Amino acid sequence: MLAMLFRRLGLGAITVWLVSIIIFLGVEMLPGDACTAFLEREAKGKLLENCREDLGLNRPALTRYAEWAKGAVQGDLGVSAKGQKPISELVGYRLRNTLLLASGAMLAGIPLALFLGVVSALWRDRPVDIVVSTLAIFAMTIPEFVSATLLILVFSVWLGWVPGIVLTPANAPLVEFFPEVLLPITVLTLVMTAHILRTVRSSVIEALASEYAQMACLKGVPYWQMVFRHVLPNALLPTINVIALTIAWLLGGVVVIETVFNYPGLGRMMIDSISDRDLPVTQAIALIIATVYVGVNLAADILTMLANPRLRTMHIRKG
Amino acid sequence: MKNIIGAASGLVMIASWAFAEPQGTFRQAHEVGSGSASSLDPISKGRVFQVTEKIMSRLVRPDMEGRPSPDLAVKWSANADATEWTMELRSGVTFHDGTTFGSEDVVYSLERVLDPEMDSPARSAISMITNVEAIDESSVKLTLGSSFADLPLLLMDYRLRMIPEGSGDMIATTGIGTGPFKLESFDAEGTTKLVANMDYYEGAPAVAEMEIIGITDGQARLQALLGGQIDMERGITSQQRVMLEGSDKFNVQTIPTGNWRGLIFRTDVAPFSDVRVRQAMRMVADRQAMVDLVMGGGAVVACDTPVGPRDQYRAELDCPQDIEGAKALLAEAGFADGLDVDLYVATLEPTWPILAEVYQKQAAAAGIRVNIKQVPSDGYWSEVWMQKDAVTTRWNERPADQALNEIYLSTAKWNESYYKDEAFDALLSQARSELDFDKRRELYTQAQAHLLQTAGTLIPYHVTRLVGTTARVSNLDEVENNSVRWHLVSVD
Repeated sequence: MLAMLFRRLGLGAITVWLVSIIIFLGVEMLPGDACTAFLEREAKGKLLENCREDLGLNRPALTRYAEWAKGAVQGDLGVSAKGQKPISELVGYRLRNTLLLASGAMLAGIPLALFLGVVSALWRDRPVDIVVSTLAIFAMTIPEFVSATLLILVFSVWLGWVPGIVLTPANAPLVEFFPEVLLPITVLTLVMTAHILRTVRSSVIEALASEYAQMACLKGVPYWQMVFRHVLPNALLPTINVIALTIAWLLGGVVVIETVFNYPGLGRMMIDSISDRDLPVTQAIALIIATVYVGVNLAADILTMLANPRLRTMHIRKG
Repeated sequence: MKNIIGAASGLVMIASWAFAEPQGTFRQAHEVGSGSASSLDPISKGRVFQVTEKIMSRLVRPDMEGRPSPDLAVKWSANADATEWTMELRSGVTFHDGTTFGSEDVVYSLERVLDPEMDSPARSAISMITNVEAIDESSVKLTLGSSFADLPLLLMDYRLRMIPEGSGDMIATTGIGTGPFKLESFDAEGTTKLVANMDYYEGAPAVAEMEIIGITDGQARLQALLGGQIDMERGITSQQRVMLEGSDKFNVQTIPTGNWRGLIFRTDVAPFSDVRVRQAMRMVADRQAMVDLVMGGGAVVACDTPVGPRDQYRAELDCPQDIEGAKALLAEAGFADGLDVDLYVATLEPTWPILAEVYQKQAAAAGIRVNIKQVPSDGYWSEVWMQKDAVTTRWNERPADQALNEIYLSTAKWNESYYKDEAFDALLSQARSELDFDKRRELYTQAQAHLLQTAGTLIPYHVTRLVGTTARVSNLDEVENNSVRWHLVSVD
């Protein structure tokens, strides 16, 4: 178990490192640099020279990567190419805001998805299942920006209950994001609930049809006891991975939602930094997102293993 | 009786005092064009003009008709050949930090623009100024390298704002000027707060506070206006106008501008190096159809002149679509079977792809086969514009002389069509030194007519700006940003 953990951590570190190289190469390969992106059609002569001098862009790419990597390992993510501000400061607030959005959606979405998924599986093909499944299909297939725009239209333009756009600056205290953050959380909840719900439903249905469930039934175990003792524990294991993926997606910054609602999170910052060719910021965010993906997936695997005695012993025997 | 009158006049005084007290907050958005490099330095590339225009003043500003009118300079005069200009400054003006505005601040501000080391984007606008000196406390002398009769027009440039002497290193964050509003806090990507400058020389502003909020996404800005989170959005589309006009909660202003979009055919490469081909490329355009199809009617037809419809030097030209004429010219130039053109467009300017498609259909009638090449918006200005033979372009309004000189003069930095024409250059330099207004206008008109004959740039129209406001806003001048008197704007 412990050996496996270390191996996975090592692999994770390598993944993150590879991601940083790919991102660096990708941004390098895009036409233009931070200076031409900023200066647009004034990117000529002295102005361009001064800018490149200031940002150290006239040094070879390899040197710049090496310097960045050296700093990153020591926990120093460098300074933003444009604002000349420390990145940890810039990204910190954005990460916090994305966390707020993500945790809001998770707190609302995960219990809701589990509940609705189990209900629609237990009453399969009944009216409640048909209604829930149909709504889930809608929530999954309508693009987020459409549902976002519709919600803004109804709740902020027509009814005037909540503000449509987030105008709170990135570094404001968390409390100030209410009630502006409610609409984006609602949209995210809709999408993620639908995804998780469908997995829960199919895996509960599968467990209900399994031999051990039938065996329990034949032995005369009461229906609800069978559901809670035998079906749900087995059925919910696979959903841990789906939930983990969803969490990773949420923490990676939901670009479309953040743009539509003008929300100052990681996703919008990533897009802005790419179009500004602000390599240090892009790198830092990519690093965070990659780490989150690796970390959350690792956590999910460990949880699955702890919850499943068979997997646990298999690894012990192997290791 | 006397008492009653006294009481009544007292009441009136109290009422008018209460009325004069600035009240309410006016909120608008800006698109954070320069991201975290945004600055309050009016002459830097990252200047947020939505803020600088409210906190800093110019020497000369445009009146409601776009003509030069006094701002920090109250009077100006030139010597006989317009090479020396004397500007008399307004007295009793103080900066937001309490220091007195005077000639040394003007010298400092202008020299800073002209400093080659700064290489400010604003420098080319006034590069003919060779020397700035203070005559006394309240007057300065500008010496020019060559005659220039319309210097006041150039001093209206939205970037040429006066800052305190020696403040260059801090101005990007302090924003100290003489404008109707004072900076309270600056956050380009969040909310910038301004408060009324009670000492403003034209009287205290009508609103107590202004908030300039950074919202990158155009759709999000419209949503913010619809939801009443901002009071004004400049530059809404004709489709969005329909939404706003249907409601009594909003008003829409229609403002003709000198902003234009166009197609460039580089004059230095075949086949466009042949003037007949260039003429034909432009003759096939049905400009009114372009205005209707691309802009939903929200534009004014132009005949390849970059000079805006409200400019005093705008030439009244005629340029109907002429397919037969274009065919004849192409045949003469050796393209009897028509020709193929690769036209590069990006969605950087949302109307470019539509404009290109309309042009494609119109040009097809004369045998010109336009092949539209869609390229990424990223890097458009560095990789495509001024590199490929046929591209799309866009420019914002500038005074006639500046528009003609910056884009078409043989030596211009932004000569995007590589246009080189001695006759045209000569017309411009004559116009600059001609002191008689009517004669000067005649020369500028000739220069524009010359462009219609020979240029490689198709300018089908000048864009009309639509400004959406909430119903609580009043007294907002119906003109471009550059001329709006922000201290008059009020909110309920």
